[in-house]
Amino acid sequence: MRTAAGKRFTVYGLVFLVAVTLFYSCSASLTDVVVDKKKTVALIVRMKHGDYWRTVKLGAEMAAKEYERNLNFYAPDYEEDAQRQMELVQQAIADGSETIVVAPSDERVLREAIKLTRERAIPILVLDTVGNDSAVKSYIGTDNYDMGRKAFEKMVYLIEKKGQIVLLGTDRIKANAKRREQGVLDLLPREMQVELVANENAPSDKKQIGEWTRELIRKHPQLKGVIALDSSTAIGVAEELESSGLRDKVKIVAIDSPPEVLEYLQEGIISATIIQKPLSMGYLGVKYAVEASNGEAVPSLVDTGTKVIDRENMFWSENQKLLFPFVK
Amino acid sequence: MKRLLTVIKVKGIQFIITTSFTLVTVLVMLFVGVMLYGKFAQTAEQNAYLHTQQILEQVKYNLDSYLNGMTQIFELVDDKIRRSKGLTADKLSEQLETIVETRKDIVSIAVFTREGTLLATTPSKVLRQNTRLTEQSWFQKAIEDPTNMNFSLPHIQNLFKGEYTWVVSMSREILLHGPDGEIPTVLLVDVNFKEIDDLCQRVGLGKKGYVYIIDLVGNIVYHPQQQLIYAGLKNENRSLPLKHSYGSYVEETEDEARLITIKTIDQLGWKIIGVSYMDEIVTTKKEISRFIFWLLIFVIVIVLFVLHYLSAKISRPIKLLERSMEKVEQGDFSESEPIRGSHEVEQLSLRFHLMVAKVRELMHQIIREQEAKRKSELEVLQAQINPHFLYNTLNSVVRMVGNGKNEDVITTITSLSKLFRISLSRGKNIITVREELDHARHYLIIQKMRYKQKFEYEIVVENEDEVLNCLTLKLLLQPIVENAIYHGIEHLADPGRIRIFAAIIDGKVLLQVSDNGLGMSPDVLAQVKAGFYKSEEGSGVGIQNVQERIRLTFGEQYGLEIASEQEEGTVVRVWIPRQVAEERDRL
Repeated sequence: MRTAAGKRFTVYGLVFLVAVTLFYSCSASLTDVVVDKKKTVALIVRMKHGDYWRTVKLGAEMAAKEYERNLNFYAPDYEEDAQRQMELVQQAIADGSETIVVAPSDERVLREAIKLTRERAIPILVLDTVGNDSAVKSYIGTDNYDMGRKAFEKMVYLIEKKGQIVLLGTDRIKANAKRREQGVLDLLPREMQVELVANENAPSDKKQIGEWTRELIRKHPQLKGVIALDSSTAIGVAEELESSGLRDKVKIVAIDSPPEVLEYLQEGIISATIIQKPLSMGYLGVKYAVEASNGEAVPSLVDTGTKVIDRENMFWSENQKLLFPFVK
Repeated sequence: MKRLLTVIKVKGIQFIITTSFTLVTVLVMLFVGVMLYGKFAQTAEQNAYLHTQQILEQVKYNLDSYLNGMTQIFELVDDKIRRSKGLTADKLSEQLETIVETRKDIVSIAVFTREGTLLATTPSKVLRQNTRLTEQSWFQKAIEDPTNMNFSLPHIQNLFKGEYTWVVSMSREILLHGPDGEIPTVLLVDVNFKEIDDLCQRVGLGKKGYVYIIDLVGNIVYHPQQQLIYAGLKNENRSLPLKHSYGSYVEETEDEARLITIKTIDQLGWKIIGVSYMDEIVTTKKEISRFIFWLLIFVIVIVLFVLHYLSAKISRPIKLLERSMEKVEQGDFSESEPIRGSHEVEQLSLRFHLMVAKVRELMHQIIREQEAKRKSELEVLQAQINPHFLYNTLNSVVRMVGNGKNEDVITTITSLSKLFRISLSRGKNIITVREELDHARHYLIIQKMRYKQKFEYEIVVENEDEVLNCLTLKLLLQPIVENAIYHGIEHLADPGRIRIFAAIIDGKVLLQVSDNGLGMSPDVLAQVKAGFYKSEEGSGVGIQNVQERIRLTFGEQYGLEIASEQEEGTVVRVWIPRQVAEERDRL
C-alpha cells in the first residue's frame, strides 16, 4: 500500500518536472524566435570601393532596416574581377541567404548566379544590368539608353545645336556603355548641324588619356563638345582641357558624379553630368528581393531614373543629397 | 459510451472534485490572464511611449547642448574679431586658427563683405569659382536680419577647395573695424553636420523606428531616408509635426500606425520627431499574450494532474470503504483490513469496522441464545409430561386404591389432572403467578401423597391481589420444589417443611421456595450455581434450565438466587419482572 502510493507520487513528481522543463524551454524558445530569425539578403556588387557602390550599399541598408532583414554585402576589391565575383556569389549562397541581389560584372557571373540560385530555388534580382532572363525576378537599374539620349540632348543644348562633337566610350561596363552609345547615336541624325567626328573608346590609363585627348583636339580643332560615357574618361578629358586652357572652348558632358566630376562641374570645366540613382537601386533591390522572397509579384524591370546635373542645379537642396550621399 | 460513462462516474467524488476545481482554476486563470494581459499590455504601451519620450528628450538635450556650444564658439569668434581693432590680420587669423584647431567639427570661419567678397578665412583655403554665395541662405539671412544669429539647414559647403562637406552654417552680420571706420560684414562659421548626423543616426526607436528633424517650415534637417524621400521612393508626412511642437500622436495610414513624438529645440525652432511603429508595440503585446496563453495551458495541465492525484487520494479510501460496506451488505461479516486515508475516512472506517464487529458478535449471541432457548424449551416440554413422575404417581394411586383410600385417590387424581392442565396450559409459555402457584401446589399435593405425609408445605402470598395477577414463566417452581423434596426432604429423618412465598419486592416479583432439608455443602452450592451440578433423579429439568429461561425471557438482571446451609435447609429465590396479566398480550 505504502510503496504503491510512493510510486504514484514519484510518477506525479516526474510528470510535474517534465511539464516545468517543457514550459521553460517553450518560453525560452519563444524569445529565441524573436532574436535570431532575421533572414538575410545578399548584395553582391562589382567593387568594394567607390562612391557609386557605397551608395548602392547605403540604399540597400535602408531597405534592410525597414524590412527587418540582415544585409550581407559582398564585393571584389577591383572592378571587372568576374572570377572573384563568381566566388562571392557561391559564398553568398553558402552563407544561407534568403535572396540574392547581384550587380554582375559580366554575362558569365550572371549565368553562374542564375544557375546556382535555380538549384536552390533562391530568388535572384539583378542590379545595374538589363536583361530578360525569366529566372531573374527583377532587373533594377538605370535606363542607359535614356542616359545616352539625355547626354546628347544636353550636349546639343550646350553647343547651341551645331558643331563637332566626339563620343567617348569605355572598355569598362561594356554592356551599359553600349546602350548609352546607342542612345546618343540614335538621336544624332535629328541634329543636322551636329557632327560626330569621333566615336572611340578612351584609354583607361590616366596618363595615357591626357596625351590621347591632346591628340584628339589636335585632330579636330573645331571640336565643341565631348560626351564621355563614363566618369573616369570625363575626368581625364577635363583634366587635360583645364591644363591646356581649352575649358571654355570644349564642353564636356559626363556620366555619374564622383567628387572629381562634381568639382569640375562647379569649376565649369565639365558642363553637365547625367547621374544615376544608385541609392534607389540599392533600396529597391533589397525591397523587391524581400517582396520576391515573400512570394509577392515584383516588376520585372525597374528603371531607377536619371537626372541631368549642371552647374546651375548642382547645389539645389534636392540634388545635394543625390550628389553627396555621405556626410563626412 | 456506457463503459466510458461508468469509468468516468459523473457523480463520483473524483469527477466532481476534478471538474469543479478545474473549472474554478480555469476561470480564475482566465481572469488573472486577462487582467495580467491588460496590465502588461498597458504597461508595455506606456513604456514604449515613455521610452520614445526619453530618447527624444536625450536627443534634444544633446542637440541643444551641441548647438549651444557652437553658438558660444560663434560668439567667441565674433568677440575676437570685434576686439581685433589693434590686431594685425595675421594675428587675428592666428587666433581664429586656434579655435578651429580645438574644435574639429568647425570646417571653416570666414568673413565676407555685404557684396560677397571674401575678406578673411580660417583655415586659409582658396575660394572656389561659381559658389553663388550671395544666393545662399546663410548669406541672405545675415543681410536681412543683421542682429540675430542664423542657423542654416545642412547643406554642402561649396566655398573652398577641398572636399565637399555637409555643414550647418552659422551666420550674422558683424561690424569690422576698417581704415574707413566700421564696415558691416558677414561672419560665417561652418560646422560639420556629421556630429548631428551621427547623433541622430545612432538613435533607434524599436527595430524600424527612427528620428528625423525638420525646421520651422518643414524642410528636412535630418532624415535617415532623406535621399529616398527626394527620390520619391518614400514620403514623410510632415503635417503633424508642423502643427504641433510637443507631444505624442498616433498617425494611422491604411497599412500601418505610427507613434509620432515631437520635441522642439527652442533655440532654433527645429523639431525632433520620433517615429516608432505601433506594430512593434503590438508585437510586444502579442508576445505577452502568447506567454500568458502558454502559462495558462501549463497551469491547467499541472492543476489537472494535481487534482487527479488529490481527488484520487480523497476518493479512493471512500471507494474502498464503500466496497467493504457492500461486502457486509452481502452478508460477509468477516474482518477486513482497516482503510488508510484521510483522518475522517480512517475514523469512519474504524467506526464501521467496530460496528461490524459488534453486529457480528450480536449475531453470534443471538444464535447462541436461540439454541439455548430451544434446548430449554425442549426440556420444559419433557417436564410437562414427565413419564417417570406419572408412573410413580399412578403407582401410588394404585396402592391407594388397594388400601381403599378413596379420598386420597380422588385428591391425587384431581391434583394430577390440574397439574397437567396448568402444565400444558394450551401451549403457552407465560402464565399468571396464580396458575404457577396452583401448579406447584398440585405438585406438592401429589408428592405429599406419595411420600405419605412426610412433609408439610405452605404457600404464602403477600399482597395477593397484585402478585397473583403477575405473569411468570411456567414450570419455574416445580423443578425447585422437586429438588427440595428429592435432595432436601427425602432423606430427612424429621418431618420436612416446604414453604413457598410470593411477594413484590423492589418492583420485582419474588417467588421463594424454602425448605428445612439437608442443605448443600458450599462446594455443591458453588457447583449448582455454576450450573454443573445435575441430579440423576427428578424431572430432568434442572435449576440451570430455570435460570436460563428466566434470563432469556426477561434479561440478565432476573434469575435465581440460591442460599443453602447444611443441616439448615435451602432457600431458592426466583426473581422475575413485575408484569401484570392485563399486559400479557403485549408479550
